[in-house]
Amino acid sequence: MRFGVGLFSLQCTAMQPRHWAGAYREMRELALLLERLGYDELWLSEHHFFYDGYCPALLPAAASILSVTERLRVGTGMLLLPMYDPHRLAAVATDLSERSGGRLDLGVGMGYRDIEFDGHGVSRKQRLPRMVAGLEVLERAEAAGGAPVWMGAQLTDPVKRAGQRGHPLLFSAALPYERCKTLVEIWEEGWAESGKPASQKPALGALRNIWLSEDAREREAARDWVRASYVQYAGLGWTLPAIGEHQVQDYANESDKAIADTVETTITGSADDCVRQLREFDEIGIKHIAFRLILDGEPRAALESQLHRLAKDVLPQLRDRVAA
Amino acid sequence: MARLAEEHGLFGVLAGTANPRTAITAAAYASTATDFVRIAVLVELGLEHPVTIAEELSILDNTNNGRTVVVAGAGTLSPSDAADELAVIREALGNHFLQHEGPRWKAPAGLPANVQAPKAIAVTPKPAQIEIPFWVTDGFAPGLPVLARELSHIDRQSQVQPATVAITGSLEPDRDSVASWADAGATHLFLELPADADRASVMTMVSRYLAPEVGMPHFPRVMSNSRVPLPWPGDGHR
Repeated sequence: MRFGVGLFSLQCTAMQPRHWAGAYREMRELALLLERLGYDELWLSEHHFFYDGYCPALLPAAASILSVTERLRVGTGMLLLPMYDPHRLAAVATDLSERSGGRLDLGVGMGYRDIEFDGHGVSRKQRLPRMVAGLEVLERAEAAGGAPVWMGAQLTDPVKRAGQRGHPLLFSAALPYERCKTLVEIWEEGWAESGKPASQKPALGALRNIWLSEDAREREAARDWVRASYVQYAGLGWTLPAIGEHQVQDYANESDKAIADTVETTITGSADDCVRQLREFDEIGIKHIAFRLILDGEPRAALESQLHRLAKDVLPQLRDRVAA
Repeated sequence: MARLAEEHGLFGVLAGTANPRTAITAAAYASTATDFVRIAVLVELGLEHPVTIAEELSILDNTNNGRTVVVAGAGTLSPSDAADELAVIREALGNHFLQHEGPRWKAPAGLPANVQAPKAIAVTPKPAQIEIPFWVTDGFAPGLPVLARELSHIDRQSQVQPATVAITGSLEPDRDSVASWADAGATHLFLELPADADRASVMTMVSRYLAPEVGMPHFPRVMSNSRVPLPWPGDGHR
């Protein structure tokens, strides 16, 4: 298994006010800590036009991290592809990948907010054709040695499409284990149709809310930080539609229930508890785990302490012995 | 190059000259190696939606703690289109909500399918500095400093008059060249180094001679010509 941390969205919120330049500096400091502790990946997140400066341009942010690190991979989780000129994007991603020794992972998603499409002159109706056209450009760049392409998706068709095209997925931390399992099966169906050789089969990934602690009060605080960190998705108007037996999670209109359900996905407890739950993801083919630890309002000391604990008590029990 | 420029006390570096598409991200990659030097990024208009460019510039500026300067070129756009595109970028980076309607761009677009989109947007985060300086490569945006490439294009009355000149790496001709630009009224001069130059040596020439000699009227050359002190024991730098 491989382990990363995210999602760095570089916000300055009503709950955690700070200077934006300070947020970018802190991210570089944390990236160096992650590298020192042996983490494999750092994941960024994108949105636009929100009061708190939610990072709207992931590749310049990625560039600043890649320039100060030597081994850490940096992933975009997810860059909203329909809003970009794919040819320029491919050139930028390839350039950044070359500068960094191939450490950029280009995760792309479709987007869901009308304001973001409109602000970039894109019709929402065009998001799927632009996504597909953009993927074709990025895939050509990848085949020529550019950044690996990941996808972010939670619905049947795009998940299957990712499998058909041979791209790994990074599942949202809001998805319960059972829903991840269903989506992995859908992805596998798509992969089986891809005709690609087994040697090219990528490992899938998932963000996970997690807090390793034997202290009940600390676990309660962490779960409440997770709750608070999902309030923004009510503000952003996110919805996870139903798939099969899995119910809808409507952050916009039923935010309390959706957030409460999401908090229940949090992996907490002792190191052994955490390892046991993470192994379940390994067993269904999810080999990349990004700990969703960058939470609104959480003290930096608590974050760093958790990064150290997971690195010391969890990673060694699960990570691959074979070099990447 | 940015680090070398900073070590030699220069005001800035011009980034992005190799590939206009990758300029902003390349500038972000380079700027973390420095603390003070201005990161001037060459932005060719017409390659991406101006709101995207504004967002990338803001991230660049927050990454380098407010040291960004934009040098905008029209690329293949007409002067009118270039001016409109530049206006969107600058308005997006400002503190008013963006609501622009011009000959080339309407931002936000107000497309029928985007039913929940509002009529104005806040492009965030804002840059680290109050206002990113914008220079242009030719005069398509009246009021903005134009990067001069010939002495005759200098506006002596401008408080900020950027210029660019290729130097040879030889002291006497380069001394004369830089002095000419300073006498003409250039205030911020980008030096293009020879392709095969020993950069460290050329930069030493710049910081010891060329920059100080235009740093004050009647510069006393003894300041540059005196012998450099002996290296400190164990110090391999000099």
